[in-house]
Amino acid sequence: MSVFGGIGFTAPWLLLALLALPILWLILRAVPPAPIRRRFPGVALLLGLADDESTTDRTPWWLLLLRMLAVAAIIVGLAGPVLNPQAEAEQGSGPLLMVLDGSWAGASGWDRKLTALDAQLTRAGRAERTVGILTLTDPQVPTFQSADVWRSRLPGLSPAPWQPSPAEIARATEIMADLPGFDTMWFSDGLDYPGRDDLRTALQSKGAVEVHQSASNVIGIAPAVYQDGAIDLTLRRAIPGPEREAVVQAHGRDPAGNARILATANASFEAGATEATTSLSLPAELRARLTSFDIAGQRSAGARTLVDDGLRRREVALISGRGAQEGLQLLSPLHYIEQALAPNADLIDGTLTDVLPANPDVIVLADVATLSPAEAEPLQEWIDAGGMLIRFAGPRIAASDVSRIDEDPLMPVRLRAGGRSVGGAMSWGEPKALAPFRNGSPFFGLPVPDDVTVSAQVVAQPDPTLADRVIASLSDGTPLVTRKAVGQGQIVLFHVTATAEWSTLPLSGLFVQMMERLAVSSGASTPEAGSLEGTTWTPLRVMDGFGTLSEAGNLPGVAGPELISAPADPALPPGIYGSEERRLARNVLTAETKLTPATWPSDVPLRGLALPPEQPLAAALLSLAILLLVADVLASLALSGLLLRRSAGKLALILGLGLPQMGDAQETDPESFAVRSASEVTLAHVLTGNSDVDEVARAGLTGLSDTLYFRTTVEPALPTGVDLEQDELAFFPILYWPVTPDQPQPSTEAYGKLNDYLRSGGLILFDTRDADIASYGAASPNGRKLQELAAPLDIPPLEPLPGDHVLTRTFYLLQDYPGRYTSRDVWVEAAPPDAERIEGMPFRNLNDGVTPVVIGGNDWAAAWAVRRDGAPLLPIGRGYAGERQRELAYRFGVNLVMHVLTGNYKSDQVHVPALLDRLGQ
Amino acid sequence: MTHSPLTLRANAEGEAARLPALLARAEQLAGAVLPGAHGRRRAGSGDDFWQYRPAQMGDSRRMVDHRRSARGDQEFVREREWQIAQSVMLWVDQGASMRFASDKGLPDKADRARLLGLALSILLLRGGERVGLTGAALPPRRGNPQILRLAELLCQEDTREYAPPEHRGMIPHARAIFISDFLGDLDPVRTALTKAADRGVRGVLYHLLDPAEEAFPFAGRTIFESVGGTLRHETLKANDLRDRYLDRLAARKDELQQLCVRTGWRYGLHHTDASAQSALLWLYGALDARQGSAA
Repeated sequence: MSVFGGIGFTAPWLLLALLALPILWLILRAVPPAPIRRRFPGVALLLGLADDESTTDRTPWWLLLLRMLAVAAIIVGLAGPVLNPQAEAEQGSGPLLMVLDGSWAGASGWDRKLTALDAQLTRAGRAERTVGILTLTDPQVPTFQSADVWRSRLPGLSPAPWQPSPAEIARATEIMADLPGFDTMWFSDGLDYPGRDDLRTALQSKGAVEVHQSASNVIGIAPAVYQDGAIDLTLRRAIPGPEREAVVQAHGRDPAGNARILATANASFEAGATEATTSLSLPAELRARLTSFDIAGQRSAGARTLVDDGLRRREVALISGRGAQEGLQLLSPLHYIEQALAPNADLIDGTLTDVLPANPDVIVLADVATLSPAEAEPLQEWIDAGGMLIRFAGPRIAASDVSRIDEDPLMPVRLRAGGRSVGGAMSWGEPKALAPFRNGSPFFGLPVPDDVTVSAQVVAQPDPTLADRVIASLSDGTPLVTRKAVGQGQIVLFHVTATAEWSTLPLSGLFVQMMERLAVSSGASTPEAGSLEGTTWTPLRVMDGFGTLSEAGNLPGVAGPELISAPADPALPPGIYGSEERRLARNVLTAETKLTPATWPSDVPLRGLALPPEQPLAAALLSLAILLLVADVLASLALSGLLLRRSAGKLALILGLGLPQMGDAQETDPESFAVRSASEVTLAHVLTGNSDVDEVARAGLTGLSDTLYFRTTVEPALPTGVDLEQDELAFFPILYWPVTPDQPQPSTEAYGKLNDYLRSGGLILFDTRDADIASYGAASPNGRKLQELAAPLDIPPLEPLPGDHVLTRTFYLLQDYPGRYTSRDVWVEAAPPDAERIEGMPFRNLNDGVTPVVIGGNDWAAAWAVRRDGAPLLPIGRGYAGERQRELAYRFGVNLVMHVLTGNYKSDQVHVPALLDRLGQ
Repeated sequence: MTHSPLTLRANAEGEAARLPALLARAEQLAGAVLPGAHGRRRAGSGDDFWQYRPAQMGDSRRMVDHRRSARGDQEFVREREWQIAQSVMLWVDQGASMRFASDKGLPDKADRARLLGLALSILLLRGGERVGLTGAALPPRRGNPQILRLAELLCQEDTREYAPPEHRGMIPHARAIFISDFLGDLDPVRTALTKAADRGVRGVLYHLLDPAEEAFPFAGRTIFESVGGTLRHETLKANDLRDRYLDRLAARKDELQQLCVRTGWRYGLHHTDASAQSALLWLYGALDARQGSAA
């Protein structure tokens, strides 16, 4: 490629043809335009009239210039001009290895990184170099192949939510040692990590190394800490730069269970500081619903910190049987447990009947033997719904008949009468010590101190189920702590008192740890590695490099201490881990992590990512040439008198017809728009800004309107496109909203209108058009966009369309809801929890109203779409099966519109027998 | 053209098919003009009463009108208005140059000329005149059959580019009407008019032009061809020719007018985009007025 003045040419020799332009000028100048033959009787009068010498018989200069320009544009265009060509001189030869850090630090600017990578691959491809790509966070033996192959694979690269670990660096070094010589282009994320220098040395021994690193700073957020009634958040950045503001968003669930931003806080980096702190003061209710914090505008795993039990302060109700008695405070049966729980839990005092409506997480009953039915029944319901009841024994229980013959529903085991006393003044033997905790017990791994002894306890009756229920026992095998699961909750019985009367357990540190393990208290914000000894944590939800959470699936569990101390790697991805009731967040940044910027020695050339992208100009120039030639044709016609005024009018008419005429709602006059939309049923689709999608949506609704017209009494007008920002939505019974990844987010006012629309009975059909491959996760761009779009909407809880939903029978009886794809996952408003199927009725009596949203990914518009002549626009499926699928898609559309227009009318049909019965027929 | 019976028949039928149309249109046109009394406004032989005059010496007895004379002592002679038929001779240019219309909405010149000629003939024939064509083809006769004969002959076409006026066979002191575009050589016209003037024939020179010939709305490189294709003229800038062409046309009109003045004819100009009715009225009036003045 040759470069002239910043523009490179792929075929520079073709430019020699420009020399021929002057010759062409002379030739073209000499040739007059072709004559027109006209019949004219008056020719006799013309005979002998010579043309005026002064008038030129040649093409006018401007027409010549036009033609010259057109030809020049063709020549230059064919020479392949490229704007901002990458300097070829710096391009070496031989194989090229592209090394990517591929860590979370580069996730925020991943798109730009891919663009830069693409540009470099293009360059390498032009220099015919073979390329290999090595991602340090996931080192694989690189295959050196043509750059074009790699370009097609670029979208498959994604950042990992961890930094390259020493093990991975070692593996990468090992891989490289086996490769022959190559040049290296290192795309650094801008953060330092151990082993980076060694790797660089290893790479430099193979060939030239060039580093590409974005100039933007890496920002991360450390785990949130709850301190003194506020959540402290620490933001870190790698390079101490100028003053900078950052917004921290607290994500959580609203009372309806939808993901939402619950609060925001501003943090500002001082100039030259690498740390910024801010604190959020949230009510306990809100705090309990937090799921994560992230930095607005940053899309990386480091800029998101997950929230675990550390921020959750459990509410614990303490109830003792001796509350009314006067006594010394140290003798209060609740004293020790109060001391153990107070730092990490919110304690509630009161009687059981007062406490239960507050729905605490845990209720502790200390030596309460019998409960009145008025207390026992709601308590049992509360346990069924997930409550945890912890009971301590005591003299009263020992003296009572509770759970003596039959197991009490509020006791985990049956008890023997009287209990036993060992090592006391009146008994033989030594006080008993605790046996080490068995594997499978929640306390497994906790060290058993020697000084914990038990001198009295209540004793469990041997039962077939007893062995399963014991989670701690004495050295002689007597159960000390037993547990039973009830519904979603559990009942735990300590066979000793909560005071130091029967044992020294409440005095020991073990007691506090046991409370933590039982998730009664949530413990310190970051537990010590040692305190998790022996526990296994299974990942519940894990983060990818972009900070997006997804279900962990069947990833293997992780040992407790490792979870705290080991660096994140493929075996330990950041995310939420669970063990029994406890939840622990493993974040990318820990409280100690410092972000160190990567520094490079001066002999390594360092470049930014922001190369001006190459821009081939050939297409633009050739288009220009065509336009010029068209102008030349018109001008020639005008000159030779062929282009009369009437023809010009026709031409203008043709051009005018050629302009797209959109049947969209944006009209200057809102009144006429209202009249037009409200006078007939009008189906509407949301304009996405992508003309292809909008066109298919319009054609789809046209097809559906036609179908409705032919088959039902609904006779819709032509569908219309709706601009959410401008148009009134109230006129449309249904909005079809195709989701495209790049459509603009509606403004707050638009969301206000949408929410009004939803509340007043409108229906929005969201269509991700991706066959639901993502299952509404964030894995596909459309799914992610759908989440973003729908977040501010007032949407009730959803469920997959149940088989007895009224949508399955509003007009046709349907089991499937195919569009262009045949996924069965369509989500509608969830049925009320008390919906039950009445005997003899085929359907449940479901929602009284229209579901405000229907969400699916079947690309229904594509199946409905028709051309102007009524023939299908797009092929669906294959052959007859495809036509059947299209038919079903139409039926789904008909049912949907019928559902919107008639509500639960068909649902009422199930009452027909009852109504007839009441009428006495 | 081959004159096999078949083609002759077909052509004859084609021609015959055109005749009624032309006749009908001409009749319709003529019907719109009500011919007034066509008397000579002098005493002479005729049917209509003119005046009573006292009998003079030399009047034969038979000429005395006894009914009038019986009222008194004087004898009166009843005079009738002089009513003699005029001979009107028609020449309608059938040359190729007449078969031109610049626009689809306009009739070609030959069509308009035929129509005007025939309609005028009908009018004149109804008025009792003898109408015929110049030359030997159809001498002036009276009566309706003459209309058919005229129509037949007017429908013939001349292959010549510009047909010269037919000036043979002109009856002395008859009237003549020449309808043409007069775009050809003017010498034959001059000769014809001079000869006509020599024989005391007066008439109307009716100049029929297409609007395009009057306006010359052309531009750009153009080859102009005559309708028959025998003449052509190429120009590179037609719009430059316009003024000179219009000058020439004006000069030609002027010359025709001068010629008319010298020979006592009348000159009329008509464009095919104007209504045929007005043209017919003008022609009829021109013929009439001239007759009046000539009386």
